[in-house]
Parts: sequence; C-alpha cells; structure tokens
Amino acid sequence: MKAEAGAGVEDDILVFPAETPHSLTEHICATTLHEGEAGWTPLWWWLGLGFALSLLGMGIISVAWLFYAGLGIWGIDWPVAWGFDILNYVWWIAIASGGTFISALFFLLRARWRTSLNRLAESLTLCAALCAAIFPILHLGRPRFFYWLFPYPNTMGLWAQFRSPLVWDFFAILAYVLCSIVFWYFGLLPDLATLRDRAQRRWQQVFYGVLALGFRGSGRQWRHYQPVYGVMAALMAPLVVSVHSIVGMDFAGGATTGWHSTQFPPFFVFGAALSGFAIVLLAVIPLRPAMGLQPYITPRHLNILGCLLLTSSLCMAYAYVMDVFSTYYGPDPADRIMFAFRLHGLYAPIYWGTIVLNIVFPQLLWWRAIRLNQLVVWLVCLGVLVGMWLERFQIIVSSLARTQLPSAWGQYTPTVWEWSLLCGSIGLFLTTFLLLLRFMPMLAMAEMRTMLGNRS
Amino acid sequence: MIVAAFATENALHEAAAELRRDRACRVETYGAAPPPGMVTSSIVPLLMLGGGMAGAVGGFGMQVYATTLSYPQDIGGRPAFSWPAYIPASFELAVMGAMLAGIIGYFMTVRLPRLYDPVDEAGAMHAVMTGGHVAVVRDGDIGEVMNTLTRHGALTIEEIRP
Repeated sequence: MKAEAGAGVEDDILVFPAETPHSLTEHICATTLHEGEAGWTPLWWWLGLGFALSLLGMGIISVAWLFYAGLGIWGIDWPVAWGFDILNYVWWIAIASGGTFISALFFLLRARWRTSLNRLAESLTLCAALCAAIFPILHLGRPRFFYWLFPYPNTMGLWAQFRSPLVWDFFAILAYVLCSIVFWYFGLLPDLATLRDRAQRRWQQVFYGVLALGFRGSGRQWRHYQPVYGVMAALMAPLVVSVHSIVGMDFAGGATTGWHSTQFPPFFVFGAALSGFAIVLLAVIPLRPAMGLQPYITPRHLNILGCLLLTSSLCMAYAYVMDVFSTYYGPDPADRIMFAFRLHGLYAPIYWGTIVLNIVFPQLLWWRAIRLNQLVVWLVCLGVLVGMWLERFQIIVSSLARTQLPSAWGQYTPTVWEWSLLCGSIGLFLTTFLLLLRFMPMLAMAEMRTMLGNRS
Repeated sequence: MIVAAFATENALHEAAAELRRDRACRVETYGAAPPPGMVTSSIVPLLMLGGGMAGAVGGFGMQVYATTLSYPQDIGGRPAFSWPAYIPASFELAVMGAMLAGIIGYFMTVRLPRLYDPVDEAGAMHAVMTGGHVAVVRDGDIGEVMNTLTRHGALTIEEIRP
C-alpha cells in the first residue's frame, strides 16, 4: 500500500504497455485455475476465509437463536421498532450499488477504465446484495411467512398492500438481486468458456464447462452478445437508481419526524454511490498486489475512483445541508426538536461521526497526491463505510426515538444478538467474496482482450 | 465439416469472406473476442422490449386488479385506484422481465446450452477462447475449400465427420 504518486507515466495508463491479450488471459486463468506460480492458494486467502467463516458462524448462531426465541432478543421496542435489521439492510444495499454504477453506468458512458474494474465491482455487488436481502426477512415477526410479501393467489384472499413503499421495496430487492445475478453471469459467460478451454484438471473442465453452457466464441454468439449486454447495462443503470430511491421512500413514506422529506430518494442514491465506490476501492487496493493485478488496475484507476468518491461525498454534503435547511425552514416544531436531539442529544456522537467520516475526511481527496496514496485512500474508504453505517443509525434511531409525542419518546440499545448478526453479515459477505475471488476470474478477460485490441 | 486455425484475425476473416463470396459456403468464425467492426444486429433487444412491456403491463394490471376488484381497502380515504403508487413495482417488474427475456432470448437465439457440438472434436477449437482464430466450413467442395484455407495461411486444417 505504498504511495505511487511518483509513478510518473504509469499514472495515466489503463493497462501496462507490456501486457497483451495473451498475457492477460494467461495471468488471470493461472490465478483462477491455480496453475503455475499461482497454483497454490495464498496464505492470506486461507486466513481471510477462516476469519470470514468465524464471523459467519457467529451470524448463524444469532439467526438460529432469533428463529427460536423471536424478535424479543433484539433491543428494538416501542417507539424504536426498527433497529439493526433495517439499518444493516439499508447499509448493505447501498454498498451493493458500487458495482452496478461502475459496470452499467460507466459502460453506457463508454468509460474505458471501467473494463478493469467491472468484474470485481460486480462481484462485490452480488455479495453485498445477498447480505442485504436477508435482513428484511429476519426482521419479520414470523420470518417463515416471508413469502406472503409475494403477490400470489391464496386461499386467504389477501394481497400485498401495493400503496406501501415497503411492498415496493420487496419488488426492488427482488429485481435488484435477480438482475444483478443475470448481468454478472451474462458478462462472465465468455470468461467461463475461456477457463473451460484452458483448464487442465477434469473437475475444472466440467465445472467451468457446465457454467459456460457451450459458449464457443462463434461469430453468431458474439453478434448477439454485444447488443444484449448493452441493453442490459442500459436497464441496470436506472434500476440501481430506482432501488435506492425506493429505499429512500421506505422512510419518506412515513410521517415520522425527520423522514417525511421529498429529498430522501436522491439522498439515498448519493449515499449508495458513496458507499459503493468506497467498497470497490477498499477491495481493490489490497487485491492489486495480492493477486498481481497492478498491470491491469493502475494508479489511474485509483485516481478516477478517488475522484468519484470525492464527488459522491460532495453530493452527500449537499443532502446533509438540505436536511438541516428543510428542518429549520419547515413549519414542524417536532422536526426541529428531533434534529436538536441529533445534534446534541444521546446519539450526537453518531451524527457528528457521520459528518466527519463521510464529508470531512473525503475532502483529502482533492489532492492528487493523496488520491494516489493507497494507505490514506484505504483509510478514508474504511471511514466512509463506517460513516455510512452511522448515518443509517442516526436516520433510523434518532427519528424514531423522538417522535411527535414527547410521551412516546424512547431510546434504543442494541443487544449482543444484533451485533453478532451484523458480524455474521460481514462474515457472509467476506466468505462469498473470497470464494468468488478464488474460483471466478476477477478481470473481465473478454472485454479486456477487446480493449487491448491488436497488442501482441 | 472442415475446421481451420489461423494465426491472425485478419487472415481468418479474409478466408471466411472469400469462402462465403466465391464458394457460397456456410462459414462460421470463432474467436476469443468479438471481431472488430462486426455488425451487431440482434433480435434479442426486441425480445427484451417485449419482456419489459409484459412485466410493466402485467405488474400494473395485477395491482389494479388487487386493489380495485379482489381486495379493495380504504386507507386514509385514498382512492382504490391509486395509479401513481403502482409505478415503482411496475418499473421493477418491467426491468426484471426485460433482463430475464434478454438472457433467455439470447440462449434461445444462439441455441445454448449446447455442452457438446461436433466441432469440439477439432483440436483447434480448444484454443479458441484463449486467443485462437478458427473457421468452420460446413459445406462446399472439400478440395476447393482446403485450397482457399491454405492460400490464406491456415495453420492447421482438420476434417471432422459429424
């Protein structure tokens, strides 16, 4: 994680000049198929997996106890009836957005730099979306009836309440998870075929061969592939914006103090972009040296991601300012009381932590030298992820703790089961991501080959 | 069928073009990346449009039916037919329908999954997705086809009997 500010000409290249389509394919295949120098699984991967599995185990115990004992094991109560469950859901779904922004939005903008990053970013999206999807189910009083959210003909004659944003949310998560898997898999198809043809071991030939479904790189397959991928990207870009807008409307649709605001949909989209870019940088910085990706993910990529992180942090700052403005310009005294509680009440450190980690620290990225200092950028990104979690906490908890009626005021203290569930979700994220790292190509080889063109 | 491997993409496409033009052969080219300048026309985006429309109309219709006919509820005096509230779920279902139509339509159009194809018997096919350039000629006079392929610098030529 040393600074590469002095890398000179390397700062501005997307792929090192010595790299060719052949060397790229060899390197990525050797890493994924565990051949040659990359034939052994590195120690950091085993240590990471062990750590991830221990967290995941903690989460499994927590969920098992939750299913046995019910929601009473959590700290939620009236008036703070939403706690870590919704907080973690909103946090994870926002983290998931980074991959979609990079792989879909920047594909449409013909940004060549995204080619080196899109597979890694999409893999992060999948893992984070998976973590997000479990929380709405866990927070149901009777999780075994989660399918009641699905509009299906039933003997009870009941339907979901389609005028509620919470039902929109169900459709949004379902669509986002499903479409992210489809988009990721469709982009992966040619690379799976490459791995199938390159694999030496029988199980790998069968494994990648079945997943590749017989993709052989024929002219016919490529001719249809490109327009379909383009349309999928054009669909994914508005989808990710809609998903986070709907998450914002989960809150804006309620008459709770601090939530009932028209700016919530863009507010949540800004937050999603900020945490999404942060997780991509957080993963990319250590993985570059660990997986030998420096020739393909260069300081220029880090510089661009740093700029994007800074831009989304400024958008976030605008949203925070508008939050203050609409509260004090608006007519509702309950809003002002709640906001004063946020600023200097019980949870004030959480509010100010949010501001410092999401807005103040990212301002360091105005300087190019800092954007290229990987240690500092990594710490800023870690801070942003913590800051986004704190932001969700203050939005959810401080609003619910200070409702319109002073007689209904309360507070919220999470229990050990909620903390262990948070740890478990981090374990689930790390486990799935580490497995993808080891068994799937982390660079989009086919797209990279097209970008490298006639280099030989 | 005849399977020929070439050293370069240019040689492959020149040979394929000549075979199609002069010998009226059915030629399919194989490569690890889309050929540069390839015409990328496809019917699948139209299928995706259909899937998207089906998702949107189906989703909207389902909500109208549920809230006005099957299970009308008076909540805060809001009308049973609250069409603006139906938009988010309809949009999500539209995108989901289009994406599913895209991947299913693509597989149907290019006839996947096809885990085995007779062309797999050719050794040259195993190098396609790692950077090979291969032409598969499915008909025509074998001698003339081989001459054309050789003239364009084919590295290997194999005859596969399906």
